[in-house]
Amino acid sequence: MARVRPWMLLTPALAVLAVLLLWPLVQVALFSVQDYGLREIVSGEPNWIGLGNFVEIFTSEQLWAVVLPNTVVFAVLSVGCTVVFGTAVAVLLASLGRLWRTVVSSAIMAAWAMPAVTGTYVWVWIFDADRGVFNHVMQALGLQDAPVNWFTDRWSFYAIVLLNVVHHGFPFVAVTVLAGLLGVPKELLEAAEIDGAGPWRRFFSVIVPQLRQIFAVVIILSTIWDFKVFAQIYLMPGGAGSNREVLNLGVWSYTESFGQNRYGFGSAIAVLLTVLLLVITVMYVRTILKEEEL
Amino acid sequence: MSTATTTAPAPVTRRPAPPPRRGSRRPSPAVRAGKAVAVVALLVFTLFPVYWMLVSAFDAKAGLGTSFVPASPTLEHFRFVLSDGGFDVFLRNSLLVALATVLASSLLALLASVAVARFRFWGRAQVLMLVLVVQMVPLEALVIPLFVQVRDLQLLGTLTGLVVVYVALALPFGIWMLRGFVAAVPVELEEAAYLDGATWGRMFRSVLLPLVAPGLVATSIFSFITAWNEFVFAMTLLGGETQNYTVAIGLRSFFGQHSNDWGAIMAASTIITLPVMIFFILVQRRLAGGLTAGAVKG
Repeated sequence: MARVRPWMLLTPALAVLAVLLLWPLVQVALFSVQDYGLREIVSGEPNWIGLGNFVEIFTSEQLWAVVLPNTVVFAVLSVGCTVVFGTAVAVLLASLGRLWRTVVSSAIMAAWAMPAVTGTYVWVWIFDADRGVFNHVMQALGLQDAPVNWFTDRWSFYAIVLLNVVHHGFPFVAVTVLAGLLGVPKELLEAAEIDGAGPWRRFFSVIVPQLRQIFAVVIILSTIWDFKVFAQIYLMPGGAGSNREVLNLGVWSYTESFGQNRYGFGSAIAVLLTVLLLVITVMYVRTILKEEEL
Repeated sequence: MSTATTTAPAPVTRRPAPPPRRGSRRPSPAVRAGKAVAVVALLVFTLFPVYWMLVSAFDAKAGLGTSFVPASPTLEHFRFVLSDGGFDVFLRNSLLVALATVLASSLLALLASVAVARFRFWGRAQVLMLVLVVQMVPLEALVIPLFVQVRDLQLLGTLTGLVVVYVALALPFGIWMLRGFVAAVPVELEEAAYLDGATWGRMFRSVLLPLVAPGLVATSIFSFITAWNEFVFAMTLLGGETQNYTVAIGLRSFFGQHSNDWGAIMAASTIITLPVMIFFILVQRRLAGGLTAGAVKG
């Protein structure tokens, strides 16, 4: 009985995961090697075309000029900004007294709790071309003569996405790094100070090595999240596919599938994204395994 | 799953009260002023979107000037959103979906977490690894096959189809988090129950369940938020069935072809955001505790 019980307890959860997460993953791989459109969905007949979809992706101008830079460069930038900013906030929090630490961390929680959908709409509203507060302020300050539509240009579009993603993502980094900072033995810092290390030196030579594991986890998780931003782009003006300049891998996959009914091609893009994330996840799992025994 | 955080193995040790500062370490006025400026700037940056959402929601002339307080305060946007806007229906749908998701995923996650936290069996590490890895799968990869599956089951446009998917999305994080709470319950308590003649089922109900209840609450809140915030699947699986829309996609009905009713959009956003924020602040301490417990014990 004792040997069967864990599996009896696990079976319902594993069944759900198998049917709704693992089998779909197999299916998306199967779709990616088919010309899978509306006809195939209705008939259920397979229409194998081998690696045709992947050849089309890798030879397309869209991938190399637009989608891959939008995905990878954006992820690198936003992970960098999120981690640096989050760490700076953690250091600030650690130096504050009890009252102000509580006040600031509550504000941070509010930013963290904001759902991606409503958060994105608020940023869109702030930067709205006609009535957005950003354009109003810029004009009032005389920095701009007329309202600017910030969503048409690829760079300003992604600057807004970056602002949105960093605003939503830095609280996790700040809270996690703060917990680590409070755990650094004070004796170490005092010893370094007596040895003549300034604040920067103390931070990079004492604190950072102590928190290496925490930084690894924070960086990898942020990378995974920032590679698959979807709502933050899809819900912006032009982000749902009408502006081909701002597509990233996730949105490209979605619009090819559900906009053009090219489910096979969209699946191939999704497979590409999944493989990219899988590589990062393997790194993550190895970090975790070093940290603790499962 | 964007707000859902996975394990952060952060060693939380309370620092003992700092020793009295020596005169030389007292921060100079310049440092103190710099810190004050940094705190104010940080507060403005973190809170401005929330603040602007509230101001626009309560302002009849949202966006017509540069005023940073409501120029003409009104509740009209909320009234419009909840009656003519149909948000009362969207709210009901979202509540139904989220509660069903919470019930189903908490039950499944509790059973599974007891298995991985309390039993040593062959395959346990593999199960935990699987739970960890499936959280990383991008939703875009799942949305195409699940759309086809749900379509084959004739559940497109229904709330049932949505609940089934959300249970799967909430489950891995739930198992991962609850496992820490279950592991934190002393085994001796279970053994004492057995000594008193309890069966495993009785022990589970009368000893384990009450002690894990706080963890169950925290996990439930996270499942609730997952279902409440989710957007991609709601948009894809519900299609044109407007009467079944959840709040996250119901918002899109206030976007016009040429102009958007921003006052209404911000009022609706406020209605969506506030419960999540309240829940989040309630659960944050628990969450930190649960995550670190999950990271240290197993």
